[in-house]
Amino acid sequence: MGKVKMKRKSTRIDMTAMSDVTVLLLTFFMLTSTFLSKEPATVITPSSVSEIKVPMTNVATILVSPQGKVFVGVTGEADPEVAEGRWASDSIRRDIFLKAIDSYENYTGKKVAFASEMDKKQAIEQFAKMNMFGVPFDRIPEFFKLKSDDQEHWLSGKDLGKGALTNVKPQDVGIPLTDIRYTDPEGNVATTNEFQIWMRSIYNSGNDNLQEAMRKGEGIAVKADQSTRYDVVHDVLDNLQTIKYNRFTVMTALKTNED
Amino acid sequence: MDIHVDFTPMVDMNMLLISFFMLCTTMIKSQTLNITLPSNDKNIEQKDLAKAAESEAITLILTSEYNENGGVTDNTIYYFFGKPYLEDNDGDGLIDIPEDPSMGVLHAQKFVGDAEGTQQGIRAILHDRNVSVLEKIDSLKKVWRKPGSTMTEAEFEAQAKKVRNDSTISRPVVVIKATPEASWESVISALDEMQINQITRYQINEINAVDSAMILDFKNKQKLNR
Repeated sequence: MGKVKMKRKSTRIDMTAMSDVTVLLLTFFMLTSTFLSKEPATVITPSSVSEIKVPMTNVATILVSPQGKVFVGVTGEADPEVAEGRWASDSIRRDIFLKAIDSYENYTGKKVAFASEMDKKQAIEQFAKMNMFGVPFDRIPEFFKLKSDDQEHWLSGKDLGKGALTNVKPQDVGIPLTDIRYTDPEGNVATTNEFQIWMRSIYNSGNDNLQEAMRKGEGIAVKADQSTRYDVVHDVLDNLQTIKYNRFTVMTALKTNED
Repeated sequence: MDIHVDFTPMVDMNMLLISFFMLCTTMIKSQTLNITLPSNDKNIEQKDLAKAAESEAITLILTSEYNENGGVTDNTIYYFFGKPYLEDNDGDGLIDIPEDPSMGVLHAQKFVGDAEGTQQGIRAILHDRNVSVLEKIDSLKKVWRKPGSTMTEAEFEAQAKKVRNDSTISRPVVVIKATPEASWESVISALDEMQINQITRYQINEINAVDSAMILDFKNKQKLNR
């Protein structure tokens, strides 16, 4: 009888196939992922059965924090081909910033005093890159002098009274909804506020698609936390109604009929 | 000569990257709910609603309670049909029960959704009030979903819209009144119920003294019964 020869098997596994699969998966996730943009306040939106998706382009977002602070953000056309890039987020933001400051100065007679032209240019460039903004007009020059970390702290209202941010009071966070009195061309006394100035400036940003979307209502998205009191959100909605933006959308999460 | 490259470290790295992207992506995009509010112009009176038949009117009053961290612990909806009934003829400080107890009396309900395919809580009440519209839409949906049906989704939507706005069917008119302390969640839930129950005539309004008085009375009665 011959001895049965045990064949030695190698334990080495060919990883090439595995590598193929992982690379494929990786490509899929890299291409489909959209990162959450940073927001000054974390909000958990209430849920609804509505299945309309939030538009990614040409939308003005109004964020209402649980403390009742109001922030606005605007996104323009994503495609740089449209209107030679003049309707893209950063270029309309530049226009909005200048328009808003202009109309604030017209209404109040106060100046938004930048220390130099250089400072103003830098502020415009920084604003063009901001997703969410909410600082009263009279603090704008000071705000854009800060480092971006400090700006974030300012917006989120954290660390107030510490280090460089000692002079930031709670009322300096968010866009104020307090009345600004002015005399209109016919000589009547009327009121507006900084939030209305921002919304009108966004509407008149020069991006026709954004204007159209805002008129239809799908271009205005109100985002508020589910545990925010109604009177806080109502203030914002009331202001939208006052400037005749009666149609808008509110951001919600998806739920089924069972909840 | 056999060239063999070891791919194990490559796989390791890819797995790490995959887990990073998987954890960081937000797959679900948020949804939106369309809202159209009436103009804030004080000169325009809301005649439409005043004209609505009293029997069709439902008033929802939203209230919420919070814990000390500001989280919502409870959303209660008070509701009544028709006009509020406020008579107190026996002088016990509580509102009497009217001759027709189904109208004008405050009740309390909650948002509970569906259970085992039937509507619960406030949804059941709204569903019952709009049942003729919902039945018609249901039968329309059956026609649309039947195998071999030629109806397109757009046609179905157009016909459903016609049914929803058909003035010959009795449809409710809902007034949503949110108290200042009502949570945003409850306001959205109320608007959502309008969508679920295919109610087209509704509006958001502010609470008035009559409503607060009725809630106070409701709570007093509850205390007495306890």
